[in-house]
Amino acid sequence: MINQINIPWSEKYRPTKYSFLKGQELAIEKIRNFLKNFPKKKAIILYGPTGVGKTSLAYVVAAETDSEILELNASDFRDKQKISSVIGPASIQNSLFGKYKIILVDEVDGISSSEKGGLSELLALIEKTSFPIIITANDIWDKKFSLLREKSELVQLKNLDYKNIFELLNEICKKENIVVPKEVLLSISIKARGDARAAINDLQSLSKLDEGILAKELDERNKEQSIFYALHAIFKFAKIDDRILRVYDEVNMTTDEIFLWIEENIPLEYKGEELAKAFDALSRADVFRGRVHRQQHWRFLVYQNFFIGPAIAASKKYNRTGMTNYRKPLRILKIWLQNQRNKKKLSISEKYAKFCHISKKQAMKDFLLIRLILKNKKIRKQLKLTQEEEEYLDKTLDS
Amino acid sequence: MTNEIWTEKYRPKKFEEVVGQEEVIKRVKSLVNSLNIPHLLFAGPAGTGKSTVALIVVKELFKESWRENYLELNASDERGIDVIRQKVKDFARTRALGAVPFKVIFLDEADALTREAQQALRRTMENFTNTCRFILSCNYSSKIIDPIQSRCVVFRFQLLEKKSIKKRIDLICASESLTITPEAFDALYEYSEGDCRRIINLLQATASISPNITIDLINTIVSQAKPTDVRIVLDYCLAGDFENARKKLLDIMLKDSVSGTDIIKAIQKEIWNLKIDEELKVRLTEKTGEIEFRLVEGSDEFIQLEALLAGFVLAGKKGKV
Repeated sequence: MINQINIPWSEKYRPTKYSFLKGQELAIEKIRNFLKNFPKKKAIILYGPTGVGKTSLAYVVAAETDSEILELNASDFRDKQKISSVIGPASIQNSLFGKYKIILVDEVDGISSSEKGGLSELLALIEKTSFPIIITANDIWDKKFSLLREKSELVQLKNLDYKNIFELLNEICKKENIVVPKEVLLSISIKARGDARAAINDLQSLSKLDEGILAKELDERNKEQSIFYALHAIFKFAKIDDRILRVYDEVNMTTDEIFLWIEENIPLEYKGEELAKAFDALSRADVFRGRVHRQQHWRFLVYQNFFIGPAIAASKKYNRTGMTNYRKPLRILKIWLQNQRNKKKLSISEKYAKFCHISKKQAMKDFLLIRLILKNKKIRKQLKLTQEEEEYLDKTLDS
Repeated sequence: MTNEIWTEKYRPKKFEEVVGQEEVIKRVKSLVNSLNIPHLLFAGPAGTGKSTVALIVVKELFKESWRENYLELNASDERGIDVIRQKVKDFARTRALGAVPFKVIFLDEADALTREAQQALRRTMENFTNTCRFILSCNYSSKIIDPIQSRCVVFRFQLLEKKSIKKRIDLICASESLTITPEAFDALYEYSEGDCRRIINLLQATASISPNITIDLINTIVSQAKPTDVRIVLDYCLAGDFENARKKLLDIMLKDSVSGTDIIKAIQKEIWNLKIDEELKVRLTEKTGEIEFRLVEGSDEFIQLEALLAGFVLAGKKGKV
C-alpha cells in the first residue's frame, strides 16, 4: 500500500484495457490487424508526440492478448550480447510452457546508427524474430530509419483531445477519492496540449497541496487563463469594438503585469510595420503610466489603458487566425537572476562608493573601470574587501 | 606607484587647490570665513568639484571634529524620502559642539528625488534649520523645486576646461613619477568628457600597467572598461531580428549595469557609423530623440528602448528596398 502511494499516478493509472485508452481507437484497430496478420510484417512502429500513450498501448496489447512483454530500450542495442541473451532464444523459439511474447522496443529515437550494433542489430532482430515487435518513437522520419520503416507497419498516434484528457483526469480523481473543481481539471487538460502524462503529473502535484496553497495555485492558473484570453483578443482581432475596449476587465492582474505580458508577446504576433506600431503604442502607454505616477493625475489612466489594449489591436489591418502559445514574461526573472549574480559586485561598489564619496549607483556604472584600479591588493585592503569579494574581482579581471 | 585610490589621495583639501571654479570658491570661502553658512545648492556636471568643495567647507568650519558634525547622504541610493528624513532626524537630534552652532548635511544627487520627495525634504530643512545646514548637490538646478532653490544660495559649477584639468593631471604625474604624452592627455580628456573624477580613475588604471602613459595604453584600458557595444544590438535590428536584438540589449543593461539613458546616448552616437542612407540616419536620429524624450516621461526604460529597436527594425527593412 505504501508503495502504491509513492508511484507516480501516470504509472499507477496506465491503461490496462483497450477500452481505457482514450482517443486512440484508430491506432488500436491497426495494431489488432497487425497481430492478426503476423508475420506478414514483423514489426509495428507507434509514433507520435510524448504522453499520448505509445508505451501504454503496447502494454494494453500484451494484456489483451495475454502475452508477456520483453522490453528493450535503445541502449540495450549497443550490447550485442545483451540482445541475444534476453531476446535471442526467446525470439527464435516459442517456449513450451511460457506465455506468448511481444517484444517492445521503447523510444527507438535514441538508437544510434553509427555505433556498432545499434540500428543494424535491431534490423537483424526483426529478420529472425518469431514474436511481434512493437517499436515506439517520437519521430520516425529521420533518414537513418528508412530501412526500418520499410520493414515495419507504421501507426501514427495523434495528440489527445483535451476532452479525452479531461475524462481521464476525472476518472483518476474518482479513484483517488479527491475533489477538484471542474474548471481546474479543464484548465489542466487544455494546458497539457495533448500530453496525457503531463496532465496526470500536473494533477498529482496539485492534489498534494493543502487548501490554502491550492487556492493560490488556482488563482495563479486563473490569472494566466484570463490574460491568455485577453492577449488572444488583442492580437487576433483588428477592429476596435466593445470587447476590445473592455478587454482587461476580466483580467485579474495589475497593470504592471499586463504591460510585461504584452511586451513579451508582441514579437510573437507582429513583424515589421506592425511590430513598430505596436511598440509605439506600448511606449505611449508607458509614458502615460509615468505621468500618472509622477503627477498623480488619474485621468491619464484612460489614455494608458487605450494604448495598452485597443491601440495594440489596431496595429494590424486584418484579423488573425490560429492559436498562439503566449509566453510568460521573463524579464523580471532575468533581472532577479542578474541581481543574484551581481551581489558581490554590489557589495564591492558599496564599499568603494562610501570611500570615494559617490553613489553606489555611480560605482556600479563605473565598475568596469574601478575593478582595474582594484587590481592593487593594498587598495583592496583599504576598502576591507572580503575573501569572496576578492575572488569575484579576480574572476572578472581574468575574463 | 602608491597604494591608494587617487581620486581620494588627490582630492583638493583646501579651497586654493580646487581648479577651475574661481568664482564659486571666492564666494563660498567668504561665507565659511564668517563661520555661518546658509543652505547651499551646488549645481553642475559630474566631476567638477561639488563634493570636494562640500568636504572642504565642513573641514574649514569644524577643523578636526568635522566627522562628528557632518552627514553625507546620497539621494539616489537611499530608499525614499522617509529613510532620508529618519537619518536627518537622528543626526540632528544632538547639537553641534564648538564654535559653529550647527551641523552640516550633504545630500548628494538631490535631483534624484521626485517632486513630492523634494516637498518633504523642504519641510525637513525647515524643521531642523536651527541645528542643521544643508548642502545639496545636483546636475541640473532646474530639477530642484523652486521652494528649495529659494531657501538655498545657489552655486553653479562649470564644466572644467582642458587647461584646468591639465594642471591637476600634471601634478599627479609629477607626484607619481609618470610620463604622459600630449596625445595621451588629449585622449584621456576626450574619454572623460571633462569629468575630473573619471579622468583620474582612467589615469590610475592606465598607470597600473606602465608609468609611461601613451595613447595606445589608454585605448587598451578604455576598451577594457567599456560596456559591451550597442552596435551588436543595432546590427540585429537592421538584419530584422528583433527578438535577438532585445535579448542582447537586456543582457548588456543587466550585466554592465548600464542605464537606459546611457544606452540611448550610445545608440544616438552609433547611428552615424551605420552603413545606411544619410536620409535614414536623419529619420533614425529623430526617432531616437523622441524615444529619449519618452524615456524621461515614462516609467519603464526597457519598454521605451524596445520601441526604438522596433523602429530600427522597420527602418532597416525599408532601407533595403
